[in-house]
Amino acid sequence: MKTLEEIELLSLEELEQQAVQAAPPAPEDLQRRLRATLAAEKVLAGQTAPARPRPARWIPYTALAAAACAGVLLALPGRGPRDSFDDPYLAYAEVEKAFQTISEKLSGGMEIAREAGTAATLPTEILNKTLSK
Amino acid sequence: MKRILILLAALLLCLGAAAQNGKSIYQKYSDAEHVSAVYISPAMFRLIGRIPDLETREGNVNLTPVIRSLTGMYILNSENPDINGSLRSEVERFIRSGKYELLMEAKDDGEAVRMYTVGSEQIINGFVMLAARADEVTFICLDGQMPREQFETLVAEQMSDGEPSA
Repeated sequence: MKTLEEIELLSLEELEQQAVQAAPPAPEDLQRRLRATLAAEKVLAGQTAPARPRPARWIPYTALAAAACAGVLLALPGRGPRDSFDDPYLAYAEVEKAFQTISEKLSGGMEIAREAGTAATLPTEILNKTLSK
Repeated sequence: MKRILILLAALLLCLGAAAQNGKSIYQKYSDAEHVSAVYISPAMFRLIGRIPDLETREGNVNLTPVIRSLTGMYILNSENPDINGSLRSEVERFIRSGKYELLMEAKDDGEAVRMYTVGSEQIINGFVMLAARADEVTFICLDGQMPREQFETLVAEQMSDGEPSA
């Protein structure tokens, strides 16, 4: 073992020689392990991501276009039906007519209900008369 | 991507839901042959409501209070056998999807009449009448915010009024 003073006196070449001689021996399989690591790195770099079903590129664009079209269609003015009448008096007469139609149909239903009620009371009356005798 | 697809699906659902109403049915069938169609817009209802002398017409039931609350009226009367079936089934689908309640059903002499309302105990938001015979289908749809009591009184008054006044 050299002392500090001795080491200080050594030239750079001598120091280099000393370092080479004193270096610990490399592990026997170091080279093989290094090669294996480098090969593995290459394999990993070359490997692609697992194949996932990628949606077609046009789907988001189509979706956006459809949404835009729907928005435009909804926002378009005057898409509703046109008024059947320009004159409010005629419109009023039509509303009146519609209410009369509704009433007629309703009264038709009420009439059937009334007839059914009468028909239902008849057997009850007969039963009551029979029982009271 | 998923968000876009979900949004698109939601949009399509909304459009699908919006497509089934009195207006869409009217628009689909109003131009067909042997179909008479009447549409009165909210603007026209507002205009009718502003006519002062309508309230003073003699011998007629005063429709003005109800008219002021209406926002749309669609009437279709089809005598076209080619479309009667589809018109009827579409109205029935609209009724089912719109939470309508059956007000009255009457079947007499080959004619089936059904009336439906939607709304609360106080307010009627929609009224639909579907009268179907073998050769004729009538669809009346009223939209608005009609006070139920007022509407029922009006119909009752019309019933007692007897002869048609128009």
